[in-house]
Amino acid sequence: MKEIRNFCIIAHIDHGKSTLADRLLERTGSISEREFHDQMLDDMDLEQERGITIKSHAIKMIYERPSGDEVIFNLIDTPGHVDFSYEVSRALKACEGALLVVDAAQGVEAQTISNLYQALEQDLEIIPVLNKIDLPGADVEGVAQQLIDLIGCDFEDILQVSGKTGEGVEHMMEEVVKRVPAPGRDADKPLRALIFDSKFNTYRGSVVYVRVMEGTLEKGQGILFMQTGKKYEADELGYLQMKQVPTESLEAGEVGYVIGGVKSLEDARVGDTITSVDNPAEKPIPGYKEVKPMVFSGLYPTDTDEFDELRTALERLQLNDASLTYQPETSKALGFGFRAGFLGLLHMEIIQERLDREFDIDIITTVPNVEYEVVMKEPGKEREKLVVDNPSEMPEVGLIEEVYEPFIKATILTPAEYIGPIMELCENRRGEFVTQLHMQSNRVEIQYELPLAEVVFDFYDQLKSGSRGFATFDYDFIEYRASDLVRLDILLNEEPVDALSSIVHRDKAYALGRKLCKKLKDLIPQHQFQVPIQAAIGKDVIARETKKALRKDVTAKCYGGDVSRKRKLLEKQKEGKKRMKQVGTVDIPQEAFLAVLSMDDDD
Amino acid sequence: MAGIYIHIPFCKQACSYCDFYFITSLEYREQFVTRLLKEIRSYRGSKFTDEPVETIYLGGGTPSVLSADQLHQILEEVRDTFDVRVKEVTMEMNPDNVSAEYLNALLEIGVDRASMGVQSFDPDLLEFMHRAHDRDEALECLRLLSETGFPTYSVDLIYGNPGQSTDCLKQDLDELLAFDPPHVSAYSLTIETDTRLGKQYELGRLDPLPDEKVARHFEMVVDRLAEQGIQQYEVSNYSKPGQQAVHNAGYWSHKPYIGLGPSAHSFWWKKGKDAPVRWYTKQDIKTYLSGDRRQLIEETEQLTRRQLADERIMMGLRTRKGIAVDELSSRYGYDLNQRQQSYLDQKKQEGIVKRLDPIQLTFEGLKIADALILDLVSMQ
Repeated sequence: MKEIRNFCIIAHIDHGKSTLADRLLERTGSISEREFHDQMLDDMDLEQERGITIKSHAIKMIYERPSGDEVIFNLIDTPGHVDFSYEVSRALKACEGALLVVDAAQGVEAQTISNLYQALEQDLEIIPVLNKIDLPGADVEGVAQQLIDLIGCDFEDILQVSGKTGEGVEHMMEEVVKRVPAPGRDADKPLRALIFDSKFNTYRGSVVYVRVMEGTLEKGQGILFMQTGKKYEADELGYLQMKQVPTESLEAGEVGYVIGGVKSLEDARVGDTITSVDNPAEKPIPGYKEVKPMVFSGLYPTDTDEFDELRTALERLQLNDASLTYQPETSKALGFGFRAGFLGLLHMEIIQERLDREFDIDIITTVPNVEYEVVMKEPGKEREKLVVDNPSEMPEVGLIEEVYEPFIKATILTPAEYIGPIMELCENRRGEFVTQLHMQSNRVEIQYELPLAEVVFDFYDQLKSGSRGFATFDYDFIEYRASDLVRLDILLNEEPVDALSSIVHRDKAYALGRKLCKKLKDLIPQHQFQVPIQAAIGKDVIARETKKALRKDVTAKCYGGDVSRKRKLLEKQKEGKKRMKQVGTVDIPQEAFLAVLSMDDDD
Repeated sequence: MAGIYIHIPFCKQACSYCDFYFITSLEYREQFVTRLLKEIRSYRGSKFTDEPVETIYLGGGTPSVLSADQLHQILEEVRDTFDVRVKEVTMEMNPDNVSAEYLNALLEIGVDRASMGVQSFDPDLLEFMHRAHDRDEALECLRLLSETGFPTYSVDLIYGNPGQSTDCLKQDLDELLAFDPPHVSAYSLTIETDTRLGKQYELGRLDPLPDEKVARHFEMVVDRLAEQGIQQYEVSNYSKPGQQAVHNAGYWSHKPYIGLGPSAHSFWWKKGKDAPVRWYTKQDIKTYLSGDRRQLIEETEQLTRRQLADERIMMGLRTRKGIAVDELSSRYGYDLNQRQQSYLDQKKQEGIVKRLDPIQLTFEGLKIADALILDLVSMQ
């Protein structure tokens, strides 16, 4: 039986993870040099451009050692963003080792660290790797020292490679064999296979990616998904090579896929354990979590005729992304659309971009919000709890007894010099300080409890800019807590614009209202009449601006050489006007619906 | 009926606001004229010569940097090539190029309308605009125009300049009106991106006059000229009765025209005969002088009925004549829909539209014509 090594690559964006993975595929003969377009593991356009692996993939390679022995490599790819930290943890769980790849020119960056800590938590063997040593700006000694500080290794332990030229890659593969522990191969225990990813195939249902931890998964076997309790038959098993390669069984230590007529991704949840129906394991693999959408936003087609197209697109996206939820809703300002739930802001952005690129649907998104629990004042009746995920559905202030909002525990890792700005940011976002822990190499771990709503508004960007990109951030939901929250409405020309309502803490409502009015004044075009812009809580107007009426809007010159240019401009403006939404007689450009998002805290 | 536009791309110096195509080196004048004559000749025998030419317009750049003899050759070549039955031959000129002798020579070769680029009489404004002439030359050229008995002429004026006070504008208008001009083209300053002003604006070194003030200037121009019997007949054009520009009015009503010279636009539309087309040449003297026709064309547009209708509305609503509903329907196949009709009705009540057929704007409407036009054409 061939030896197996299951490992992943942990790297900051742009530090060369994909190039290195390509090199491995090439050197193991998994794929010929010209067979792939640049970066095989990231096969969606979007991932390539962002340099983020959105969904984890896995690939099996056969490595021939200089001794002539063959070893099976299972390289498991990990997504690299905080929204997907749970998926990352499951992918790591499927490995025994990790290559910690750092760009020799850029040095250790924050994004790697959160994943590194997760990997350490899972007891993975960490192999530090300096990549891009071929670059003229490579600082091998200096960056190696950073790695030594970070993980406490010796200089000799650090590998030096270049994904681009291939230098050091052979040695690295040998080191993987030597250092990464072989997986347990106990094929006789009751089956426990960890689901670390899945993909939807229109003809075959879910293709479930698993790592067999114990026991043997056999073709035709009755299988039980321990968390969902669903039972299927393992119609097809196989290895994940450049193509799916069917096999008869997957044994403990192996990585592969299972197809069993699993209708939707909902039923093949990441982190679930597959066992055998006939001889079930006692307990599932620990660490399973149900992934719940945390951030909600309205998605509306820019062109109201595209509602059906949008519905179809969302259906198709959901097939491959069970964490996306949506339901139809109607807005006075935006017409028919959907309220969609996302894991986080990045997840939301990705969905928006995929709608644009893969389905060519232009959409307007409303300001993201979280889900609130509202207890109504209803004397004599039993108190009813309302779940509100759309600000415009928040009842009148007077009817509300109490509003609860989700709180998270945020863990922030940062070099010590940025503690100040980070704590200030957290305090501004209604955070409650929990602990602060000084670690090796001048790093500090800070914990805060924060309302999730405060985090979904550009918290991550602010954190990054406040720490020159060094701080990393991870969060876990803790509980719902009562807060003094109000609904802030925006009125244009005396008409409320439902899609511009937001739920905010009372203390912040005034400042926000003022800023919103100001911002909208910049964004809304001049009309032939004056447009009052108001922010209100219930009936109380708390801020006001006025967009003046057009006084002069006429081109001076219009002769033979101007006609074409002027008509083309007119055509462009016509398009722009079509994309605007009307509330009453006021035209509102799309950007206005995201006005809240683009406001700095300190302006 | 067609018009001919000839672009003479030479200027002594670059005016800060100008985004027409021009070059400030005069050395290519000879070669240019030779090339232009060839270009005109190239039309011989083509379908474009079947249509009688009623107007010729020499624009630029600065046509007056050419000698009367050179201009004579050009006009002769046009007469030999096209079926010229001329009503109006306009030539743009700058005050600093003009002498009695020059004007008389122009009269002799058939130029019968001068368009004088005065822009302002105020020394500071002339400097801001980076004009080549000074205040005295501005006054002198107008005196010469009357003295030589030019049949008709137009004077260009620019208002709404940064920092320009209404007093300053009033002064400009008074000085201009002392000459009792038959025609005035008064433009509110537009800061175009590829100009010196555009650059300054980008760098934040220029404070455009606020819209309200420009609107006040506009009102003042209209009122002051009207007092002297010079009526607004287009957003930026004013004339005494019977003195409206024939050539320019042709653009606004989609009359065909042939453009000659670099950057010149041509438009050809013969109902029932040729599909409407517009083409224009590159803004490049070198390409022009090389004489390669295929290289020279920058773009050719085949225009749809819809595009033409939008253009007609866009240009027609800028004029006092407005645009007849019937013309839209018969010539463009464009019928106003319900939304457009009720929009116009409402705008009439608001005092922005003067008449519903032909559709005409009030002065209040003209001030915001672009917004109105956009509203109107977006509804269909």
